[in-house]
Amino acid sequence: MEKILDKKRIDDWIAALNDWEVHAPALEDGIWTYKPVSGAARLDHPNTRQSPKGFTFPQREVYFSFEQIKGEPPKLTQILPKETRHVVFGVRPCDGKGVPRMDKVFTDHVEDTYYTTRRKNVAYVGLACNKPPSATCFCLSVGGSPVSTDGLDVQLTDLGDRYFVKAVTETGKALMKAAGSLLTEPAAADQKQVKQVHTEAVAYPQRKINDPDGAPAKLKVSFNSPLWDEMARACIGCGICTFLCPTCHCFDINDEVHSKAPLQGQRVRTWDNCQFPDFTMHSSGHNPRENTGARLRQRVNHKFQYFHENFGMHQCTGCGRCVSECPVGIDIVAVVNKVTENVG
Amino acid sequence: MINIQDIRDTARDMLAKGEVRTVIGYRRGSRGMPAEPAFITSPEQADELIWDPTCYHNLSLYLVHDQKILAHLRKASGSPIAIVAKGCDARSIVVLLQEHYFKREDVYIIGVSCEGTGVLDERKLASQLNGVQPTLAAFDGDDYVFTTAEGEKRLPAREVMADRCLECRIPFPKEHNVVFGEDKTGRQLAEPFAALTRFEAQGTGERWDIWSHHFDRCMRCFACRSVCPMCYCDECVVDSITFPVTQQTSAAEKADRVRWIERSAMRSENITYLLTRAMHLAGRCTDCGECERACPVNIPIRMLNNKMEREAREKFGYEPGASIGGSSLVASFLDNDPGDFIR
Repeated sequence: MEKILDKKRIDDWIAALNDWEVHAPALEDGIWTYKPVSGAARLDHPNTRQSPKGFTFPQREVYFSFEQIKGEPPKLTQILPKETRHVVFGVRPCDGKGVPRMDKVFTDHVEDTYYTTRRKNVAYVGLACNKPPSATCFCLSVGGSPVSTDGLDVQLTDLGDRYFVKAVTETGKALMKAAGSLLTEPAAADQKQVKQVHTEAVAYPQRKINDPDGAPAKLKVSFNSPLWDEMARACIGCGICTFLCPTCHCFDINDEVHSKAPLQGQRVRTWDNCQFPDFTMHSSGHNPRENTGARLRQRVNHKFQYFHENFGMHQCTGCGRCVSECPVGIDIVAVVNKVTENVG
Repeated sequence: MINIQDIRDTARDMLAKGEVRTVIGYRRGSRGMPAEPAFITSPEQADELIWDPTCYHNLSLYLVHDQKILAHLRKASGSPIAIVAKGCDARSIVVLLQEHYFKREDVYIIGVSCEGTGVLDERKLASQLNGVQPTLAAFDGDDYVFTTAEGEKRLPAREVMADRCLECRIPFPKEHNVVFGEDKTGRQLAEPFAALTRFEAQGTGERWDIWSHHFDRCMRCFACRSVCPMCYCDECVVDSITFPVTQQTSAAEKADRVRWIERSAMRSENITYLLTRAMHLAGRCTDCGECERACPVNIPIRMLNNKMEREAREKFGYEPGASIGGSSLVASFLDNDPGDFIR
């Protein structure tokens, strides 16, 4: 299904989606953030500071509550996410690519009920990148594209005063049907223009990973390379790179006790982070990823080797957030290039 | 005007003579600007060093890292480390020396004066350049000059300079082994604590609303803590284990550990984290502003530290990092210290 939407009517389309809670990027505190839409939605953002992964994998997820009165058996109550339907507007193709990668992690071997409950209730209306929104974009290097529809339900392409609207999934078709007569048939000129825009989008120069295909094998043989310590020398060990990443999914589980008598609390899952010094700390005090070099290697190898070995694709989608937001200039593109070139 | 060649010559010379084991300075980032920390260990690398308005980082953090690595490896420090330090960075080194984190002879301070300017605030720059992404930045008198795909852009430095530099009282590294650039202490680009004063002009309710909003937004990536040279505690209240675990640590000690702050990023925990950090920096923060620059969600963290800094200054006449011989704020007591806040 392919249609045309007058840009001025996007708010009418959003208003027509009354079964859904609609989110779109908003500029707040100097950064673009997904916010529930109230009033006019603007889709003129470069990319959001945080990826949309929080819609399916929030930073804090409650598993269950627990309660125990002394001398009685403990009482556990599972707390599943609410079945509210969310539609997220303005998702960039790199973040769309993140969706099937997160699906692999949370549904491939074991189905994570919390993830799947959220996942089946969220739809993504993507926005193609007519030109790279950031100087740190590198989607083309990791099997992506500025016009990719992976992970999206609908793809919008900006054609100046209107959007070219393309359904990608059945959910996407339903969202478009809800727009009714707001969406009109594309003329031959529209079809021609969208093709032109997409061709130009792919031709824009981006930063480049030189040998993405060779990376898994080359990283594997570089496990003990002294380059890791050298490249991580400036790393401060914060969580920016992984928290902003659309595909980082490591988590920690803790019991949060709210009352001691009676014993009451919640078991919660929160984002964890391979760059934190206590990430792999063992109970014995031994830490197999004990310095910044080993932790940088963990992050890079997970993206470009381990994930590839498990699922046959790079986990990195080339959004460039970890590059642009690193306070000390650690650059995953430069790191992968340096390690792979060192192997030859 | 600082000639980068002077800094390079100093670094090259010291490394060639074996007087220092490493020179920590700035080099070009992989994308051009911003600069990134450089760890130079051979004389041939000295020409990598640069000095431009994107040399934001307070490199004294890496002196702390070095001490931690040496302690972990149970090694002595040997020859000193040379470090490029701006005024605020040098004051951080002084605080670390006051706290006996390392010895004066362990560090060779290559001071650089910020002269009439300071470092860039990329957020201010972005709003001026309207989507154009610069690849290089350079000092030129009172201006910054940017290289962009659309040619050279020149802006008066004070329009895009970091607030902390505008408000800086001492843009010169008084503690140094060698120093480059003119001492322009006394230049006044903005009132000290100007941003804080503007914020505090609002009512209590408004201020609470603003801070609640920011406390809710914190992701607890700990970039502010991790980038701070003063946040060197081996045991931080926010970590899952707040004491060093060894093979001798019993299971009961680990199980019964005190968890001061839950892992969940939510208002109650975030407040505890951010305010604990602010309190621990009272009289120690030298306003290098790295916490605020590093924050990926633009929380005005510097304001919390500024508040403590102003209290220390107004109540106790205390200036963090003023002199190595001076005692630290919380470890000193004077007969004329005010006591009226104790009720």
